[in-house]
Amino acid sequence: MKFFLTTILVTVFFGGIFAQQKTVTSVKKMVVIPAGMYEPFFITKANKPLRVASFKMDETAVTNAEFLEFTKQNPKWRRSKVNRLFADSNYLRHWQSDTVIGIAHKNIYNSPVVNVSWFAAQAYCKWKGKRLPTVAEWEFAGNGKPLNSKYKSLTDFILEWYRKPNPPVLPNIKSTYKNQYNLFDMHGLVWEWTFNFNSFISKGDSRGSTADEQKAFCAAGSLDVKDRTDYAGFLRFSYRGSLKGNYCIANLGFRCAKDLK
Amino acid sequence: MAVIAMGMLFAACKNAPDNNASKTLEAIQGEEVAVLTDAPNVPPPITRTHATKVVVNLDVIEKVMKIGDSTDYSFWTFGGKVPGKFIRVREGDLVHFTLHNMPDSKVSHNIDLHAVSGPGGGAEVTNVAPGQSATFEFRALNPGLYVYHCATGPVGMHIANGMYGLILVEPKAGLEKVDKEYYIMQGDFYTKGKFDAGGLQDFDEEKAIAETPDYVLFNGKVRSSTGANAFPAKVGDKVRLFAGNGGPNLVSSFHVIGEIFDKVYMEAGTEVNHNVQTTLIPAGGASIVEMKMDVPGVYNIVDHSIFRAFNKGALAQIKVTGDKKPEIFNKLK
Repeated sequence: MKFFLTTILVTVFFGGIFAQQKTVTSVKKMVVIPAGMYEPFFITKANKPLRVASFKMDETAVTNAEFLEFTKQNPKWRRSKVNRLFADSNYLRHWQSDTVIGIAHKNIYNSPVVNVSWFAAQAYCKWKGKRLPTVAEWEFAGNGKPLNSKYKSLTDFILEWYRKPNPPVLPNIKSTYKNQYNLFDMHGLVWEWTFNFNSFISKGDSRGSTADEQKAFCAAGSLDVKDRTDYAGFLRFSYRGSLKGNYCIANLGFRCAKDLK
Repeated sequence: MAVIAMGMLFAACKNAPDNNASKTLEAIQGEEVAVLTDAPNVPPPITRTHATKVVVNLDVIEKVMKIGDSTDYSFWTFGGKVPGKFIRVREGDLVHFTLHNMPDSKVSHNIDLHAVSGPGGGAEVTNVAPGQSATFEFRALNPGLYVYHCATGPVGMHIANGMYGLILVEPKAGLEKVDKEYYIMQGDFYTKGKFDAGGLQDFDEEKAIAETPDYVLFNGKVRSSTGANAFPAKVGDKVRLFAGNGGPNLVSSFHVIGEIFDKVYMEAGTEVNHNVQTTLIPAGGASIVEMKMDVPGVYNIVDHSIFRAFNKGALAQIKVTGDKKPEIFNKLK
């Protein structure tokens, strides 16, 4: 037990520096996201603009190489051992085995890990002394202006990505764009888990069912949606609304966040 | 009881059927897997005289296909084509419906079948992430031809990308026998480039909101059903078209040049009108039209809002072969 804890501590603080295997990358760089106001996509009585406190966020999504280290050190999160309640049968299915990504997939070591459940993502972040970002934090950070994008608007860029089928080999991190907070690939590479992914209203039918939901979605349109032309936002919230905590999906990854203190 | 409660809950969004809740439901006998077809084909008429459990498995597939001869579009489909698979059940059937979103899909999808009596037409219980499935059951209470479509936000974009199809609930006594049945569905499309601009064209949300389509199509592609792909018929055939309109925006002035609809099931309901030249098909609505093909030749099916036919692609054809009928139509000079 002591050894195990030590291992964790070593990994959290010095994992990259002391690791011998070439699969382990350096310690994940985090960037500080300044405090600001997040305007919820659905502005209703319950969903007022929120103040997002300053926090830290991983500059990129967690990679296959980084997640491999996690499964090596936490056997219960290996593909063959994981509890099905916490990860469905697609969990890490793109890897060769429990602790081997595989020579056939040698180009994805530095690509975002996908086919991971919310529970697995949260466990990974906890192992790193971090947590998943909330929807408000993620959306606020994701709205950061691109610094190196050729698109006239962020929405255009996102929509173009949404339209494309998943590539056969997922590109590496830092392959899309960097935003004003120095975050990479907030859009355009994978969808990302958030801590409270299912707390928003786009549950099933995106046109509203309960009285509250009707406010935002009765018959497909809404006066209460912040920007009705934000098609990218609609798609993102619909996607989150379709998720369950044990789902593992080929285009869904994550990055971790942390309080400042 | 549940139907009544749901009806009240949904009164603002969707009117519940008013006359079926109290009817005694037919006993379900047996089980069968539904035959699903791509347009213009229609599954065979139902000859059963009892209600059964019908298993429907429908896949959501996002794929790039031709929208014109030289232009591609990233379609979102029910079953791999636009329009989606034709589903045929009988009034009283219990439909066991599974929607599967393919693992390669980028976004989540669901389905609202207008033939369903229940919240969201099924949309609420079928919002599926890529690689996932959802299953629900519904009773086909009302006979008629119904549109189904995706209702995941943004709804308009999902429909504009081709996510619609038709489900026929045949009345208990069946439909009158005809010689040919075809499936045709109109839809409007909005692309960054102009009509037939070439290359891979992206969805244009500004044009969609302004309701200014670049394409108005039958069965998802310019010339999908003309020339060698015209719907074949013989002189004397009674032809029935199951005609739907996915929209998302336009209402169709549905017309067959050179023919008169002997029968129109108005708005695809039970009332029949006779001797109709042009019938309106609302977005998210359908019609069943029947005509006897008296004279050989090529008959153009159009949206008679006519620029759509000649400039935006809303043109399909029925090709009728057989002996000339000079007593009905004759060129003199």
